[in-house]
Amino acid sequence: MSDQLPLHIGLRDSATFANFYPASNEQLIAELRRCVMNQGEHFIFFHGISGTGKSHCLQAVCHAATKQQLQATYLPMRDIQSMPVDLLEGLEQFDIVCIDDVESIAGNREWEVAIFNLYNRIRDNSGYLMVAANSKPDELGIHLKDLQSRLTWGLVFQIESLDDAALALTLQLRAKTRGMELPDDVAAYILKRSSRDMNTLFSLLEILDRESLVEQRKLTIPFVKNYL
Amino acid sequence: MGVDNFWLWRYTSASTTRHKITTEYKNTVSAPLWQACLNHLEGELTSEQFNTWIRPLHAEEEPECLRLLAPNRFVLDWVNEQFIEQITATVARLVNGTAPVIQLEIGSRQLTANTEVASEAGLDSAKMRRNGQQGPSIQTAPEQVPAHFSALNKTFTFDSFVEGKSNQLARAASMQVGENSGAAYNPLLIYGGVGLGKTHLMHAVGNLILAKNPQAHVVYLHSERFVADMVKALQHNAINEFKRYYRSVDALLIDDIQFFAGKGRSQEEFFHTFNTLLERQQQVIMTCDRYPKEVDGLEERLKSRFGWGLTVAIEPPELETRAAILMNKASLVQIDLPREVAFFIAKRIYSNVRELEGALRRVIANAHFTGKAITLDFAKESLRDLLALQEKLVSIDNIQKVVAEYYKIRVADLHSKRRTRSITRPRQIAMALAKELTTHSLPEIGDAFGGRDHTTVIHACKKVKELKESDSRIHEDYTNLLRTLST
Repeated sequence: MSDQLPLHIGLRDSATFANFYPASNEQLIAELRRCVMNQGEHFIFFHGISGTGKSHCLQAVCHAATKQQLQATYLPMRDIQSMPVDLLEGLEQFDIVCIDDVESIAGNREWEVAIFNLYNRIRDNSGYLMVAANSKPDELGIHLKDLQSRLTWGLVFQIESLDDAALALTLQLRAKTRGMELPDDVAAYILKRSSRDMNTLFSLLEILDRESLVEQRKLTIPFVKNYL
Repeated sequence: MGVDNFWLWRYTSASTTRHKITTEYKNTVSAPLWQACLNHLEGELTSEQFNTWIRPLHAEEEPECLRLLAPNRFVLDWVNEQFIEQITATVARLVNGTAPVIQLEIGSRQLTANTEVASEAGLDSAKMRRNGQQGPSIQTAPEQVPAHFSALNKTFTFDSFVEGKSNQLARAASMQVGENSGAAYNPLLIYGGVGLGKTHLMHAVGNLILAKNPQAHVVYLHSERFVADMVKALQHNAINEFKRYYRSVDALLIDDIQFFAGKGRSQEEFFHTFNTLLERQQQVIMTCDRYPKEVDGLEERLKSRFGWGLTVAIEPPELETRAAILMNKASLVQIDLPREVAFFIAKRIYSNVRELEGALRRVIANAHFTGKAITLDFAKESLRDLLALQEKLVSIDNIQKVVAEYYKIRVADLHSKRRTRSITRPRQIAMALAKELTTHSLPEIGDAFGGRDHTTVIHACKKVKELKESDSRIHEDYTNLLRTLST
């Protein structure tokens, strides 16, 4: 019998609040959700190491904003820093602007000034600005003091890494949203043998999803072992 | 271009949106075809691509046309180059029969919204501005005085500004200007480091002018906005409207003039605007992050003109003022902040008021989230990360190193028994800084300076306090060192 071919349809997960396990970051998630309800602080900065879900949170904000008929945009600075700063023109008209990896433009005078100006325009327009970075505002290496001080003005959170138990729950939650059951022992097995970086774990889950469909297998330790 | 049109593009970021403003937005419900298209594209593109380029597009659906609005020219071009084929193919797959034409334009939902809808909904001025709409008096005929949008923050008043030694001169001068606009000090230039309240004072003056004369045309804007407006005026061949707009105000409040540096054409235009306003005794208030003569890239004639009126500095607030600021900000949101908590935060965050406010926001947000009362222990826990950073940055070792470098002596001199003035003065200043910036006890501080007694530290702090009052050089040295150590 030939392998079953997976349909080439939307297999990738959307980043939503529903498929993010907050663990000890409940307050951050609550504050982000409040923004999407047009409440709460207008400026939130959060920082944490790679793989803690910063991008997921910002994209979840955009997703939730759309559901609320609000306009939101997501700016991954790592990807767009090579583009002209004109990209930011007019973005203050969005209800919510999300800037990711702001550390990528630290030391780049043109981008620092452009983001500083966008900050002022958003503030003038009573919009919401969410910024994520890999470290605290004063450790980013931002040269423009005006921008650095503004990054400390709103709510500043550290997004904390998940411990193994929380990672397992996160992985199981994500598997469930994809229609898979990931038993406790299999989740624990994965965490003992794989990098515990969230991006790596989700990539693995995507492979497992595809391959389990092709091979018509459940997620068991012997099956998972082949892909670690 | 008439003045009303000038206004319209003034708050419209993308030049080509101008024609869109007159188009009424008919389809106010969500666009079902585009929504279905989004669902497909979300699965096909990376999450970055989707959220950066596709989700922000706003769709307007008509029977034969799917109009997608991009926020600016760059996004439009990028979508056109990278994604339009995929969008077209997806739409074609979703539609039974003839697929609608996909039209990509610059614009936004807000820009196309009907002004009446916003007015009836009672949107505030900021919201209306976000919607790209003008204030209610916009229907001014082109030859009349243009309708100005003040952009003043009504919460920034003299009442909500906490006065202390560091800002009392600037506050007094600003109050004078508010009371006697155009006559007292013109121009008024307020300078100082970031986050010390320059913008607050400027708005307070504007609000006072308006309180005394509600008909006054008071316009606040950031210097970058002035530059952007001028560029657009040039693009639209509307420089005369631009000039008329800015030269017909009763008070022009322009923030962060250091951003004019290196922008020759903007400086020239501002120079003429500035001269016209002063000649007509219309008030000009500016802020700058440093003494204007120290700003590289500003023309000498501008620097000279800026000095015609009054130039006042704002210094970083001292401990008591910082605590008062915190209590004041808390009371504005109906929070009773215990005095000991205010001093706890103020003692540890000293670089600028923004950071101070950020810390307070965090404590209040935590209190709301957990439902707990704000106590000293609660504040310590809420600010754990932030305070760890502060304490890490400002150690006695660090203070000694910075002070020694500043006075061009060796750190070992600060530890030594030498009693020459060139050594004792820096040593006393370093001790005073250690007391102000760290949480170390006096015996610990004394110990860190060559095993001195805690009474020596008390004497040093007292001496430095006296010298700061009597000797402007010591005052300046201390302020510079405080700024270096706290930023």
